[in-house]
Amino acid sequence: MTNARQQTAAISISDRRDRAITLAPAVLVLAFGFLSPLINLAIESLKEFTPGRVGSVENAATTVQNYHELANQAFANVLLTTFWIGGVAALVGQLVAFPLAYFIVRRLSPRMRTLALGFLITLVLSSVLIKTYAIELTFGSVGILRPLLLTVGLSANSREYINIVVIAGLVHSIIPVATLTLMGAMQSIDPRLLDAAQSLGAPGWKAHLSITLPLSLPALVSSTLISLTFAISAFVIPMVLGRGRVLFMSNVIYTRFSDIANYPSGAAISLVMLATALAVISVITLAHAWKSRR
Amino acid sequence: MISAVEFQSVGKSFGETVALDNISFSVKPGETIALLGPSGCGKTTILRLIAGFERPDSGTITIGGKSMAGLKPYERNVGLLFQHYALFPHMTVEQNIGYGLRHRGHAAREIPARVAEMLDLVRLTGFGHRRPNELSGGQQQRVALARALATHPSLLLLDEPLSALDAKLRHELRTELKDVLAAVGSTAIVVTHDQEEAMSLGERIFVMSRGEIMQSGKPDDVYWRPKSRFVADFMGRTNWIRGSVVATDGSVSTFRSEFGWEFPVAASRDGAAMKDVCVRPESVEISSGTGRAGAIGMAGRVEDVVTLGAFRHVSVELSSGDRIISACANRPDISFEAGQEITISMPPQACVLFA
Repeated sequence: MTNARQQTAAISISDRRDRAITLAPAVLVLAFGFLSPLINLAIESLKEFTPGRVGSVENAATTVQNYHELANQAFANVLLTTFWIGGVAALVGQLVAFPLAYFIVRRLSPRMRTLALGFLITLVLSSVLIKTYAIELTFGSVGILRPLLLTVGLSANSREYINIVVIAGLVHSIIPVATLTLMGAMQSIDPRLLDAAQSLGAPGWKAHLSITLPLSLPALVSSTLISLTFAISAFVIPMVLGRGRVLFMSNVIYTRFSDIANYPSGAAISLVMLATALAVISVITLAHAWKSRR
Repeated sequence: MISAVEFQSVGKSFGETVALDNISFSVKPGETIALLGPSGCGKTTILRLIAGFERPDSGTITIGGKSMAGLKPYERNVGLLFQHYALFPHMTVEQNIGYGLRHRGHAAREIPARVAEMLDLVRLTGFGHRRPNELSGGQQQRVALARALATHPSLLLLDEPLSALDAKLRHELRTELKDVLAAVGSTAIVVTHDQEEAMSLGERIFVMSRGEIMQSGKPDDVYWRPKSRFVADFMGRTNWIRGSVVATDGSVSTFRSEFGWEFPVAASRDGAAMKDVCVRPESVEISSGTGRAGAIGMAGRVEDVVTLGAFRHVSVELSSGDRIISACANRPDISFEAGQEITISMPPQACVLFA
């Protein structure tokens, strides 16, 4: 009996040590590589900025001025643009990725499925810059499809058109990531559930609405969150496709840091951006958790 | 009378593989049929064709006299019971049972009563608000049965209905399934690879192999009078004895084994061509001592005894040199040991001739 207990204790000690060893690299990297810059950013955001300097001066006075000056219509518009364009792109991405994931998982032969998987991973890993310029060269102001757009009455320089091109650029990058996220969930849904639903009188689309959709809802929420996070933090896509008329938060942050070297203000915007993103994601996550508990 | 289900020269291939080879059969209303065969014999294809998940390459399928050509699964009123239940995990028991009622256009106010009726039928009253994962395997199967029967299907298809359950539960549920099927009077087709399940549930059995129906008939017919070696072997254990028919007198022939053992067998029309006899182990009666050897019995020695609970399998070497296995009831007052002298005998009608 005592022997057995000693053994248990020995196992749990080595267990704990194992856990510490396996976690240590990640904790170290996160603490030094991520948390400390973040803290530094927070400190910088509270410093007074002297125009003409690069960053804050040493012993600069502490102030909330950098946050205070963000409370204006122009900044609110950027925040709003970032979230509505990012949100629309994330949702459109799901609308495309959901049936695509289903098709790949349930309709393709194992061989074609592997090919599709490889193709999606290639898309994820290929350069955003290249993909974005490809879109610009096709649909942009000098794009080869511009004459086509002109015939349907769309001006390539209208605000609406630029919004659509930015959304398309974001959706383009979201689709492969969202599809890969959803495929796992689709794979785990027993195809016989759909057979059962159909044998009980539900046509295919009703069966999908009442079975496939609710069963893949958790994955759909994760996929939407991943897509939204990607979209609202996008930098190259709004910069290239937005042609200066669509500004995302990241573009404003970049300008503050690189063009006018106002580090404290850039830091403040970054933190507002981080806080807003965390808030939106928390609300979605909590709402889903609350709904699925009921 | 209109058949509940009828197949007329139905063929189905998947690429190069022939799943069904020109199959014809018909099922009477209210009848329970068991489709029995090894995996890949085409039995599941028949089920999927009836349910409408597959389309036949040739031939016609009718349900209740109505052609099913071009009808989608949801346009046929066929109930399905799946091997792993296929209950909707995100719905309660009530919602599962009510699913078909909602989609088949039943009035919303009638649904609760019908659901309650079905819960009562499968003895799960009070379980309506549970989720499938809160139920045992047997309870889940009963919910699946209630769900399949709720819409008054003209036909119930059962895909390996009991094979996911453990032995004891399977026994209980088999009886219950028979009772429920009898109570609702529904025509049912059971697909299974388990001959016990087929014989206990089916009023008629269709034994299938490689896309063909090898034999159909009542369970006892198929079991005791197999028409092919495949059916004989698939329906249970058999002793095969090589030899030839030496004489025939009316309904009984005399068979002589390669080792010279002569015994009476059921006569066959082309007796001269027959080279094998098939005898089920439980038809081989065994008694201790050699006293009864002679005209009806054959003396031998016990080689090995395997106890299986209700039965013992006794391997016997006959004095002729033939070997045979006898399955006898395991009783505390009778025992057999290796080397023991015994006598065996077999009723002639249990000995079936094969070419």
